[in-house]
Order: sequence, then C-alpha cells, then structure tokens
Amino acid sequence: MDKMKLKLLYSDLKSDLEVIEKELAVAVNSSSHLLNEASLHLLLAGGKRIRPVFVLLASKFGNYSIESIKNVAVAVELIHMASLVHDDVIDDAETRRGRETVKAQWNNRVAMYTGDFLFAKAMEYITEVQNTYAHEVLSHTMIELCIGEIIQVEDKRLLDQTVRDYLRRIKRKTAILISASCELGAIASGTDPKTVRHLKLFGYYVGMSFQIIDDILDIVSTDEQLGKPAGSDLLQGNITLPVLYAKDEPAIAPLLHSMFEGTISFEDQQNLLKEIRNSDGITKAKQVSNMYLQKALNEVKQLPENSAKKSLQNIALFMSKRKF
Amino acid sequence: MNESMITQQVEQYKRDILMQTRQSTLLNYTGAPIIDEERLFFTLLPLLNGEDWNESERISVIAISLIFSALAAHDLVKEQNATSREQQLQVLAGDYYSGKYYQLLAKDKKIDLIRILSECVASITEHKTRFYDQQNYTFEQLVGSIQLIESKPIEQFMEYYSFHEYVFFMKEALLLASLKKEIAAYERMEVTLYINKSSVLKSNVNLLHAEIKKIENSLIHDVRTSELLKDHVKHAVVERVTKCSLETQLREG
Repeated sequence: MDKMKLKLLYSDLKSDLEVIEKELAVAVNSSSHLLNEASLHLLLAGGKRIRPVFVLLASKFGNYSIESIKNVAVAVELIHMASLVHDDVIDDAETRRGRETVKAQWNNRVAMYTGDFLFAKAMEYITEVQNTYAHEVLSHTMIELCIGEIIQVEDKRLLDQTVRDYLRRIKRKTAILISASCELGAIASGTDPKTVRHLKLFGYYVGMSFQIIDDILDIVSTDEQLGKPAGSDLLQGNITLPVLYAKDEPAIAPLLHSMFEGTISFEDQQNLLKEIRNSDGITKAKQVSNMYLQKALNEVKQLPENSAKKSLQNIALFMSKRKF
Repeated sequence: MNESMITQQVEQYKRDILMQTRQSTLLNYTGAPIIDEERLFFTLLPLLNGEDWNESERISVIAISLIFSALAAHDLVKEQNATSREQQLQVLAGDYYSGKYYQLLAKDKKIDLIRILSECVASITEHKTRFYDQQNYTFEQLVGSIQLIESKPIEQFMEYYSFHEYVFFMKEALLLASLKKEIAAYERMEVTLYINKSSVLKSNVNLLHAEIKKIENSLIHDVRTSELLKDHVKHAVVERVTKCSLETQLREG
C-alpha cells in the first residue's frame, strides 16, 4: 500500500527517475565480474531512492536539466549504497531489504571493495559538477556521515546517553546526506542562495523526521515488512529514540540490561520488543518526528511557487507517516 | 640534499598526513593510519630531485597518501566476523580517510584531479577483486594488477603535474617492494594480500623470485645510469632497493 503511494508521489518524476535508474546501472558496471555481480545485487534490491528524488525536486528551483542533474542524483545514491554495504559489515547483517547482503553472499572483504568501488564511482559522477563549493559540501557530508557512524559504534550499549546525543548522531548519520541532496540539487541548477538555504534546512528536518520514523519502524514492524529481523537496531546495541524514552520503565530496564550483558533469552528479547512497542516511547518518538516534520513544512512554505514545492511537501508528509 | 634531509622531508609529510587524520576514537581503536614510507619516498621523488614544488603538489601528495591509507585500512578488515569494535572502526577509518582526501582536494579546487584519482580507486578495487573471483588470470596479469594497485594514483599524480620521467622508477620500485613483502610474508606463513588468494601465484613462487631479481637488477642499472636523477637521489633509491633485499626481509622477519 505504502509502496503504491510512493509510486504515485513520484509520478511527476517518473521519466527522470528512469533516467537515474539507467544511469545507476551504467555507473556500477565494472570490468570485474565479481564487482559487477555484487553491485547489481545491491541495485536490484531497490530502495526508496529518496535522495535522488530530493536532488531532482530541489533542482527544479533553478535551471532544471536532467542531463546535468542526473550526475548529482546518481552520486548521492551511490554514496548511500556504499555506506549501506559497509554498514552491513559493521553490523554483521545477513539480510537487507529481504535479500542477502553482499557480505553474506560473498565476504566482508568483497563488501569493502564493493563499497569502495561505489564511493569512487560517486566521486567520478559528482566531478561533472564544476561548482567547487558543491564539492566542499559533499566532502564535508561524507566526513560527517563517517563521524556519525563512528559515534554510533562508540555509543553502542551505552544506556546513559541523552536524547541530545541521539539527535546529534542521527543528524550526522542520516539527515546530513538528505540535506546535502537538496542543497546540491539546488546549487547544481544555479538556484538563488536564499532558496538553497531553505532547501538545505528542509532536507535536514525531513532527514531527522525520517530517521526517527525508521527507528520506530525497526521496533513496531514485522520481519517481512522490514526485510530484516525486527528490532535489529536494538539487537546490535544501538539505542534509538523510542528505547531512550522507554528505557527506565520497570518492565523494560532489567530486560535491557540483561540484553546488553548478553544474558537474555530469545523469549525475553521478544518480550522486551513487545514492552517497548506498548510503551510511551513510541508515542514520544513520534511526537519528536512530527516536530521535525512541521519544521520541514515551514521551510517548504518559504520556497518560491512551483510544481516541485507541492511534491516536496507531499513526500515529506509521506516519509513521516510511512509504514515501511 | 643529503640522506638526512631526505628523511626529514619524508617525516614532515608523515606528520602532515597524520595531522589530517586526527580523530580520537579512530586513534584509540585503530591507531594511526598506515603510511608506507617506501611509497611516500617514491611519491616525493620529483621534490627530492629538486623539481619545482608548490602548495598544490604538497596537498596532492597528502591526498594520495590518504587514498592508500584508506585502502590499507579496508585490507585489514577480516573476511569473516569483523564484529569487534576495532574491526568495525577499521571499516569507518577507511571511509573517513577517503572523505578527507576528497575534502583536501575540494578545498584546493582540484576537481579534475579528484576525478582522475576516483577513476584510479575504482580501478584498484577492480584489480583487488581479481584475487577473489574465479576467473583465470595469468601470472603476468596478476603481477600487472599488483603493480597497478601499488602505484596507479601516484602515476596519475606524476602525470598530472608533468613529472612523467619519474613514473618508471616509482612503478618499478613499488612493485619490487610489494613483491618482496609478499614473498617474505608467504615464506614466513603470515597473512599475504595476494599470494594466498591466488593459486596461480602460489604455484609460481619461483617465478616471483625470478621476477624480483629481474626488476631489482634492471632498476638499479637504470637508476645508476639515469641522466634525470641527481646523485643524492640515485644513492637514496639504490640504498632503499638494496636495503630491502628479499634476503634481508626474510632474515628480519
């Protein structure tokens, strides 16, 4: 149902997204049989392609040309794909989007090379953009993305972290790449600086809202809906917003401690997830996500009138209410 | 410039590279990035030989070293069960150094060089996977892959800044150093990057020995008779090539 709605939302961009999809296939084409297979494996797993969509929509506030903007859209999606392949090594993940991960199908080293290959290809594509500031934005984004992941590894199983710690982490881990997608799309099409600023902030707020929803879905969805085991984040030791809000509840605290000490049974793991699902943590996290959504919508209001404005608004609303 | 000045230059670059990569968590868990001194020395060959050198060349050398540090960090990720915190951060260390190389060149507005080096990295990953796929590569193809993996970004850097005449010395020396390290590790039954991954190389270790001898002899001859290299550089190159003889590596192992 949600996937249908998303297709509908993207309908105005259908032909341009087909161009992006074809270009992604060209981008991952390699003289190495193994890299080809691994990259195609990733590409075929699909994804929401929200980053390319935001690049395309943001660029419609300037001089839109799919031929030039596709390089930015492909680059940000490749960076996203590369970071997922490397994340799966870090998380020792067996499945993603219902398919075996690269590291599970081959091994960690092949996953490392695949990620490196995709990062390199992303940079080849982005260098089609001659605006040097765009490269400062993207390189800063890539470093921040990494620091976000480094902090996530550091913060694993750390129960005394604050909501602020969590928000800082997801800013770097997720929001900054979505924000950069909007900013780069706008810069590459020569959009005026004021509009670029609103689009950048819009991307940041949507990214924050999106990641919080993602973290809620990790707990409330089924394995089938997620394409990976429900509660994966928690099992990995990642403490997300719903857990942070619920962690001190009497039914949850002892289970959480025994989970991080590695002494929890499978049955109690399921009980823990159930307790968090039924806790206030989910409602409170939804409220925070909603607050970021409202901020994003406020930024949209300040954009000049055009067809992309409505699309940005609808996609933001959808992303924050989605169920997958 | 004498040997101690050469050492000072290389050490200064090492400090500059480390400065760029300072990140407390990574330092705690993965240590400082791997910087191969041999490779750095041969990257700096034009500078050591007295060629014109400005801030852009300096920044580009640091960026290239970061590319190699990134790739080396990822080579340390275990094929299975990279679940320890050190291993997880090894993955991120490589990505972090890559981001830093991109940022350095972006700030120096070297967009064309970023593109050239990105193509190199893509090509290096393709050649690295040759040691993992099931295709039949010849001995010559695999040695060619090793040479590309070890030196392609430096070759491109030298071409970019018109130091074409140095490419041959750098490529041969780095291939030689890499083959010696591989053989030494293999014969000590330690982890190797290439030999243990390839049945062709494993069954042709004698050919690798012969290749090493051949490259070493011809490189020393070419350096000694070179009209390009100044005497102090000739001396430094020959000293490095002979000091790192295979016998020494095996003995010191």
